[in-house]
Amino acid sequence: MNRRSFRSPLARALGLGAAKSGVQHWWAERITAVALVPLCLWFVASIIAHSGSDYAVFIAWIRTPLATSCMILLLIALFHHSALGLQVVIEDYVHSDVRFVAIVGIRLGSYGLAVIGIIATLHIAFGG
Amino acid sequence: MIIESSDQVSRFSWLKRFPIPRNFKVTPESRIETGRTWPVSADAKRVKAFEIYRYDPDFGANPRLDTFHVDLDDCGPMVLDALFWIKNKVDSTLTFRRSCREGVCGSCAMNLDGTNWLACTRFISDMGTKAVIYPLANMRVVKDLIPDLTHVFAQYAAIEPWLHSKSPEPEKERLQSPAERSQLDGYYECILCFCCTSGCPSHWWNGNRFLGPAVLLQAWRWLTDSRDEATGERLDVLEDPFRLYRCHTILNCTRTCPKGLNPGKAIAEIKKAIGERES
Amino acid sequence: MAENPGNPDSMPKHLRPLSPNIQIYRPQLTSVLSIANRITGLILSLGAVGLVIWLSAAAAGPPTYGVVQSVIGSCAGQVVLFGCTFAFFLHLCGGIRHLVWDTVHGFELRSIYISGWLVVAASVLLTAAAWGISLLVAGWPQ
Repeated sequence: MNRRSFRSPLARALGLGAAKSGVQHWWAERITAVALVPLCLWFVASIIAHSGSDYAVFIAWIRTPLATSCMILLLIALFHHSALGLQVVIEDYVHSDVRFVAIVGIRLGSYGLAVIGIIATLHIAFGG
Repeated sequence: MIIESSDQVSRFSWLKRFPIPRNFKVTPESRIETGRTWPVSADAKRVKAFEIYRYDPDFGANPRLDTFHVDLDDCGPMVLDALFWIKNKVDSTLTFRRSCREGVCGSCAMNLDGTNWLACTRFISDMGTKAVIYPLANMRVVKDLIPDLTHVFAQYAAIEPWLHSKSPEPEKERLQSPAERSQLDGYYECILCFCCTSGCPSHWWNGNRFLGPAVLLQAWRWLTDSRDEATGERLDVLEDPFRLYRCHTILNCTRTCPKGLNPGKAIAEIKKAIGERES
Repeated sequence: MAENPGNPDSMPKHLRPLSPNIQIYRPQLTSVLSIANRITGLILSLGAVGLVIWLSAAAAGPPTYGVVQSVIGSCAGQVVLFGCTFAFFLHLCGGIRHLVWDTVHGFELRSIYISGWLVVAASVLLTAAAWGISLLVAGWPQ
């Protein structure tokens, strides 16, 4: 008898049971997406409006309070949305134990990069 | 270009298949080999070629693609008629599930020219110049065109598709208004053919844990039934990153349903219901 | 699984083959736009890293900023930027389509196809408009 498992099909379908969570991830993805629509459009429009400008003009633009705050909000929403999306992609395609390592790595990397971006923006805004 | 209903066959397709290697991620036992071409009868005037997936478990060889030439003047109009013609006149070992021959039992679900449909409701004239027939995608094959549906039916059983009641039984019927009954329309008609589940890329990659469109549509059928009293428990069983949330609204399911049902919409309703109880 | 739970003694001696899935399934607007949304999302994740590099270069001062700007201004850089712009608009329009679906609207096949083609058309038009206006503002690159 070379059956690999005698577990019933129903038991295999039920697996470890429902996690009874997952809606927070779903809501966060939507909220960051809704936030990103105006923030990204603002960013792209600003870049287009400042096409061909030199360093001084760019710095003056970021120094305005509106631009600084929008840039920081953009970075937060962007990296949170990105981390959630990449987690879903990894869960879809990676099925070995590497999955957990990859998800933790992606999350930490995203939030680390967000902090670096925020600090850089603050540096530009408040630096000499 | 604009598809109005799922029975519309797109005459023109930009791509017949995704541009990936033919044997991408195919395990050795699933690799398809070249099969034989069966002879065509000399006095047949209208002949159509059918390329059909074959697999014989008793012989143990790999699956192969056999080519048959069907005399269209001697055969009924539907693809199932062609399969019967081949079985009766050419190769009696061709094996496939069938029952009602009118699109209500779901037995003859298979992959026709790249999309899942019922063989008994697909016209031969709607198939390509060479009709290509595979079993339902991403299923273990029992023989020829017969998929092993054990796992998907187990997933169906896992959602407990029967009325859950806590209140005492009524004297006669459990009452339901016409408006409440209309909530079931579009969901109770599912024939469990699993065309949708078999066509869902998320189920291809995560079918062991993701329930799939057919099962989730039935889950919604019970969630929206006004006579059911276990809505909260049903939603708890579904709220899981894999069981429900592997659905990324790809919508291959709605596109391929041979009964014109909308599993994508049912899943969106489930997600909305779960989202609503958070606030 | 190879075993037939209904009749263990009838199990074949070999593993049942898996019928082909992505190898033979027809690409349709539904699946193609969905994978495009995912691919553009991955591209934009890399773009986000680029954004942080750009901001950090600006914070570091004019020399570093000049290096980054020359990379972006190079031929290859402009091609990448164009690709990122198209990816952005495709993901934006696709994302809005997803947000509409979350309200359980637009699920009829006709609506799915119309909104799908609108997403493609809007992305192309918005990308062209963005680059057109940018070139008008900045003047043609030297």
